[in-house]
Amino acid sequence: MSQQQTKNCITLRGSAQIICEYLKFAINSVLFQRGLYPPETFKAEQQYGITLLISEDPQIKSFLTNLLTQSEEWIVNKKVSKLSLIILNVANKEVLECWDFNVQYEDGDVALSKEKNETVGSKDLKKIQQEIRDVMLQVAATISYLPFLDCRCSFDVLVHAKTDCDVPEMWAEAKPVLIANAQNVQLKNFSTSLHKMETVVSYKLVD
Amino acid sequence: MAKEGDMSLFNDVLEPFRRVINTDPPKDKLSSATKLNFSDSNQSLKDGLNNLLSGKRKSSISMNDVSTPEKRVRTESGSTPTAPPSPWETKRLKIDLIAAKAQITKLESRINHQHTICKEMQILFEEEKGSLMEQHKRDERALSDMEDRLQLIRRREQELKDEYNQAIKEHKEHKATWDKEKGDLQKQIADMRDKLLECSVSCKDQLSEMKKDMDELLQALEGSQSEVEMLKAEVTKQTSRAEQCTTLRTQMEKQAFELQSVTNKLKELEYERDSYKDWQQQAKTAQKRLTNMAELEKEVARLRAQERSLRDAICNKLLLEEQVHLLQSRVDALQPVQNELHEAKVKLASLEASLEEWKASARAHGIENSRSLSSTLDSALNGQLNATAASSQAQSQLAQLTEEVASVKFERDKATGKLNELVIVRKNQESLIHRLQKRLLLVTRERDSYRQQLDCYEKELTVTLCGEPGAGSAALLSARVEQLEKALQGYRDLLATHDQAAHTKLVETLRAESSKWREEAETLKRDVAKLRAQRDTLHANLERIGAQSQTKVLHLANNPAAEAQKQITAELEAAQEELKRLKATLRDGNGAGACPEETQQLKQQLESSRIKLKRLKEEFTSSAQEYRNVCYMLLGYKIDRTGHKNYRISNMYAESSEEYLSFTLDDDGIEMVHTDYSSTLGELVELHLHQHRSIPLFLSALTMDLFTRTTMQQVQ
Repeated sequence: MSQQQTKNCITLRGSAQIICEYLKFAINSVLFQRGLYPPETFKAEQQYGITLLISEDPQIKSFLTNLLTQSEEWIVNKKVSKLSLIILNVANKEVLECWDFNVQYEDGDVALSKEKNETVGSKDLKKIQQEIRDVMLQVAATISYLPFLDCRCSFDVLVHAKTDCDVPEMWAEAKPVLIANAQNVQLKNFSTSLHKMETVVSYKLVD
Repeated sequence: MAKEGDMSLFNDVLEPFRRVINTDPPKDKLSSATKLNFSDSNQSLKDGLNNLLSGKRKSSISMNDVSTPEKRVRTESGSTPTAPPSPWETKRLKIDLIAAKAQITKLESRINHQHTICKEMQILFEEEKGSLMEQHKRDERALSDMEDRLQLIRRREQELKDEYNQAIKEHKEHKATWDKEKGDLQKQIADMRDKLLECSVSCKDQLSEMKKDMDELLQALEGSQSEVEMLKAEVTKQTSRAEQCTTLRTQMEKQAFELQSVTNKLKELEYERDSYKDWQQQAKTAQKRLTNMAELEKEVARLRAQERSLRDAICNKLLLEEQVHLLQSRVDALQPVQNELHEAKVKLASLEASLEEWKASARAHGIENSRSLSSTLDSALNGQLNATAASSQAQSQLAQLTEEVASVKFERDKATGKLNELVIVRKNQESLIHRLQKRLLLVTRERDSYRQQLDCYEKELTVTLCGEPGAGSAALLSARVEQLEKALQGYRDLLATHDQAAHTKLVETLRAESSKWREEAETLKRDVAKLRAQRDTLHANLERIGAQSQTKVLHLANNPAAEAQKQITAELEAAQEELKRLKATLRDGNGAGACPEETQQLKQQLESSRIKLKRLKEEFTSSAQEYRNVCYMLLGYKIDRTGHKNYRISNMYAESSEEYLSFTLDDDGIEMVHTDYSSTLGELVELHLHQHRSIPLFLSALTMDLFTRTTMQQVQ
């Protein structure tokens, strides 16, 4: 879990880990809720005080671990501004849905940071987890208004990084996606006092 | 054992060398890594190598020394002649010789081998030497570099030392300057202290002076206090005088105020007089109007008189109507009299007839009773005359009365018309009066208002004229305010009376307008809210686009979408290939056959099944024919199916082919259809079909009949 040195003290890396853990569960939850993969390939897991579903597919697992380890590094170095989970139609590459995870960097507890000689936050972990739970419940509730995906779909995660960021091995530059006639729904935010995570889902409005 | 020892020795000599060769490159690396100590290690390595080389040489020499004496011994042993060469000895010698030769060859081969090894070793040593030389050169180069660097460093060190010395010098200089400054400052401090002391001394002097001054001042104060007391007494005197003066002044002021008020009153009175004059004028005009009013009132009185007269006329009319009613009742009463008159006439006629009869009878009877008769007649005639006269009189009276009634009615109509007219006139008059009254009211109001205005102006004038500030002005102002308020009230009343309706209408229209405007405002507000929301979303979009331009988008190369894409393209390609293949096979199949064996088999099957079918058909037809023949032979009837459920039967013994019967199959059973031939078999039909109700019996009877007939013919 997070690297808690003392009570109510979150380091930059610990905060990044919380963010990446949230991303893992959020992406898995979206994949399950939107029915991109068969439900029997998911396994229930208790997290944030609720039951969440995690994919057992080795390909997805390896993809997510690769993605999130690299993303964590970038988040620690403040290189990432946004991660976008895009759901696209495989047949014509049309983007049907886009889940934007906006990362904002905050100062944390300034007094404690000076004391510790590194940037740390002092937010209670339970409170952070409660906030994340609220967001996860909202993600689960989105299925009621998101349009039905009636074609073969797949997903990709785009990382919006700073222009001076190096492109590591196995990574490539992609084009930014744009959904025409999109409807945006802003979900709840949560903050670790070092990072603020903002979740927005935008989907193609069916005429 | 000696050879083996040699070999082992040789190997022992070779082994470290090999090790050196094998471990040489890593040692190189090591040396390069630790360049600073390399010169020593290199030296040691060289020493080791020289030792090794010398050792080898020694070993090879010693080896040769060892081998050569042995050889010599053997050759010597081989060449020493023996006096009696006995066969056994010769044999043994031969054997020895052979063995020695073999040993010699072996040894020679070993020598050769060792020579080759030696050569190899030499080559190896040369190579090693070359590499070591190169290493040496490299090391020398490195050394020179290092020396250069060292010199550089020394130079730097020298420079740094110079700098350090300079810095120390500077530091000393600074220290000296600071010491100087310190001394100066200490001196300054001492000066300051002296000054302070001086100051304190001067302060003390000043203090004593001040005390002296104070004493003097206190004395002066006492003197001044006594003076003050004196002055106070005077002041009391003066104050008493001043009070007297003030009382006088107040009296003066009072008088002045009274004067002012009196003048004001005067002015007011003047103003009132002026206003009275105006009023008189206005009153005159009003009186004029009032005289007009009097005329109108006169008219009204006249009209009232008229109305009264009309009312009288109406009363008269009522009287007349009553009279008419009376007369009508009288006429009604007279009608029975007339009837009686008629009856009387009739009676008279009858009486005349009877009189005639009477006359006749009288004539016939004599004249004795004529006088009495005439008298009676006369009396009767008189009575009749009286009656007719009365009737005529009554009729004339009736006509007169009807005429009167008509005239009275006409008069009445006229009167009612006049009355109506008068009523209308009166109404008009009333409305006029009302209007006039209203106007009067307005005029009075106007007058009041004007008067008030005038008052106001007057007051203002007075205020401005005697614009001295004081207690009177407040009273004036209050009075003015009151008047103004009154005027305002009057205006308000006026407005209220004047434009109530208009005002209400206006208010309603204004309200309607205001509500309309409010609705419009609300709609506009909604529009504004919508537009704002749109603007916000557009801003957000813009920001997003801006953010995108600032960032670059990265993703994992082997993401699920790409994999799915690849998979689907692969599937597509596979499908297309399969399609192509299938198309090709289809094309081929049309020409030569995709699966020739299968088609062949199928063809064969088809052929065999066709043959089978053909055979079955043949079999069926032959068996059917057989069956028919058997039926024909056994039952004597040939049965043909002519159509659906229709059967034709012809007998074996029939005389011609036209003698046939036809039957149809029904739901109930079989029925015979009428034919030409059946009509000739009336008896049989009657007997067997109608009575026995059996077709087989009928058919067999027919067979019997035909058979007997044919046999009869044959017999004949």
